[in-house]
Amino acid sequence: MQFTFRKGLKTNSKCIGGSIKEPSVQTVALLGADYPGVVFDLTVAEGEKVAVGQTLCVDRHRSEIAFVASAAGRVSDIHQGPRRRLEAVEIACEGEAERTFDVGAASQNHENLRELLLKSGAWTGFRTRPFGYIPDPTSRPQAIFVTATDTNPLAPDPVEILASHAELFQRGAEALLHLTNGPVYICQPAIAPLVSVVDRMQIATFSGPHPAGLAGTHIHHVMPASNKRQVWQIGYQEVVAIGHLLETGRIMARRIVSVGGPGLSDPALVEVSLGAKLSDIVQGLGNVEPTQLLSGTILSGLQAEYLRRHDLQVTVTGQDRPDDLARTFWQRLLGRTETPPTGATIPLESFERAFPMDLLPAPLLRALAVGDVETAERLGCLELLEDDLALLSHLCPSGTDYGSLLRRALDILAKEQAA
Amino acid sequence: MNRQMKDMPRRWDSNSMMFAAGVALLPAVGVAIAERFSTIALPLLLALGVGLAWPLVFARLRGLPYRWDGALMAAVFVLLLPAAVPIWQIGLALSFGLVFGDLIFGERGRSFLNPATVGLAFLLFSFPGTASEPTGLIATIAAAVGGAILLGLGLLSWRVVVAFAIGITVPLLWLGGIGGLGALQNASLLLGLVFLVGDPVAAASTNAGRWVYGALAGGLVFLLGQVGDGVGSLSSIVFAALLASILAPLIDQIVIQFNIRRRARRQANV
Repeated sequence: MQFTFRKGLKTNSKCIGGSIKEPSVQTVALLGADYPGVVFDLTVAEGEKVAVGQTLCVDRHRSEIAFVASAAGRVSDIHQGPRRRLEAVEIACEGEAERTFDVGAASQNHENLRELLLKSGAWTGFRTRPFGYIPDPTSRPQAIFVTATDTNPLAPDPVEILASHAELFQRGAEALLHLTNGPVYICQPAIAPLVSVVDRMQIATFSGPHPAGLAGTHIHHVMPASNKRQVWQIGYQEVVAIGHLLETGRIMARRIVSVGGPGLSDPALVEVSLGAKLSDIVQGLGNVEPTQLLSGTILSGLQAEYLRRHDLQVTVTGQDRPDDLARTFWQRLLGRTETPPTGATIPLESFERAFPMDLLPAPLLRALAVGDVETAERLGCLELLEDDLALLSHLCPSGTDYGSLLRRALDILAKEQAA
Repeated sequence: MNRQMKDMPRRWDSNSMMFAAGVALLPAVGVAIAERFSTIALPLLLALGVGLAWPLVFARLRGLPYRWDGALMAAVFVLLLPAAVPIWQIGLALSFGLVFGDLIFGERGRSFLNPATVGLAFLLFSFPGTASEPTGLIATIAAAVGGAILLGLGLLSWRVVVAFAIGITVPLLWLGGIGGLGALQNASLLLGLVFLVGDPVAAASTNAGRWVYGALAGGLVFLLGQVGDGVGSLSSIVFAALLASILAPLIDQIVIQFNIRRRARRQANV
């Protein structure tokens, strides 16, 4: 399958490759906000020593789903928000303790593989469409989409990373076949196949400007998700991690992440644990202006303290300098006038120019902005997750974050469907 | 927080968008002042005052930040005004347009009409018999420059412009041959296209809808020109813009229905 898009973000930013640095990360965290819809039950206490792969908490309603430590150390802090909702479990890194899993059984049958993925935390790398939740332990999707391409500005180069992990990627991709009766799509750039195709595996190539590399775009064009059809998506590094787990019995809790943005002179690749503290990551990269750090891309990144679960990028934002002499008189004058925090959606033609799906962006954004969940559903919001709307949020003059509005709409729709 | 990267498209906000539209309007305002300073200076001053005052009243009432769009709408309104309209009529019509075309809906973007269109329609309807201001070639060029700026910035839909041109030239050529196109050399027509019909808030919000909307507006200018003061007259432009933007949400709804049906078919087939 081949797809070429013309619509999208025209930018010169290339993927980032080259040498991988390993900054020393002092703190990692498991973040509640990374898993919408999950109520956590803690299995560790503050001050307890944990090993890599040890369960920190489980999903209250689906206790098979475990959330594991991505680094060895001591549980230094447990943040709870309103109604004692878990916000973060912080681990101060020390030592190399590591839990090993018995993988012999996993190769024997499908149920054992499922169990291994669940208890090793690898399961939390999957996201369902619609809704973007962690899939149910017993469910079987109609297809699994492996996102082995990335068109975000300043993203790490998946091809280069996969070149050094080809065998693990193959192994992980083959394991995915046991989780579904449908096809496993390897979504990759238009180059030679990244895996050797076996059984129900299929290669789908996508080329074009961003968002050609987003799972939402792939799924929309190959097999659109709906409330009658659930598919799963998983990132390429998660698949490598599954391959690593099956190969060695130890989890691969480290990810290769790019650090870049207007506030950093040279973008770089780093290898850090999941949930690493952002300020630790950027330390020692040189020339970081004292600015805000975003977990995620420049388009969709959120201001955060720790790397979010599915993010492969850290963005160093540029600085706002209201009295910069380089700015013109008019820019300064404009900067002084108050900009409304969020305004009404202005339906510009540029929305369609940057949105390579057969959905109508302006009506959809309007429906989300006014909270009309039913209309948003009819307009196809079930096919989307937060990332898919990042570019439109960037282009809309209203300054609205449509991703968070979409999350609210999806949560409402999921509740309605469950009821 | 500055998220702008060098090679990424601009991140617009309401102020910068309003500023860009103001720059695009500047040539037309300049030409109008140079050509007919004595007749336009007072209305322009008054209109700017009204255009800045009403948003202030509503911003105060609602406790929202002040927005500058009103001044822009007022300038467009004055540029399109017929000759020799009494000052009180200008104030009344513009106030009506701003308040009932925009402000009572909330901020800009929540309404489906352009306030200048509404104001002009109110004026032409309530005080008929006002003849359009004749404009020269330079004014037409100035309006075209403004349109080109907005097109280049992506704030004016090229689909609306092209569809409008088709909608108006095809019947003109049909009935009048090449000579019929003379009616198009008209600054009011271009200003109306760029700032009234092309206003993204008043226009249809889907690509297919933009084609239909633009063609409809162009066709209406021709049609309304047949019964009034001729194609390209002020009343034909204003009422075409008004009718087209009233119908724009309906056009969008039809496009949405087609889209939903097409996707449902695809969902079933894949």
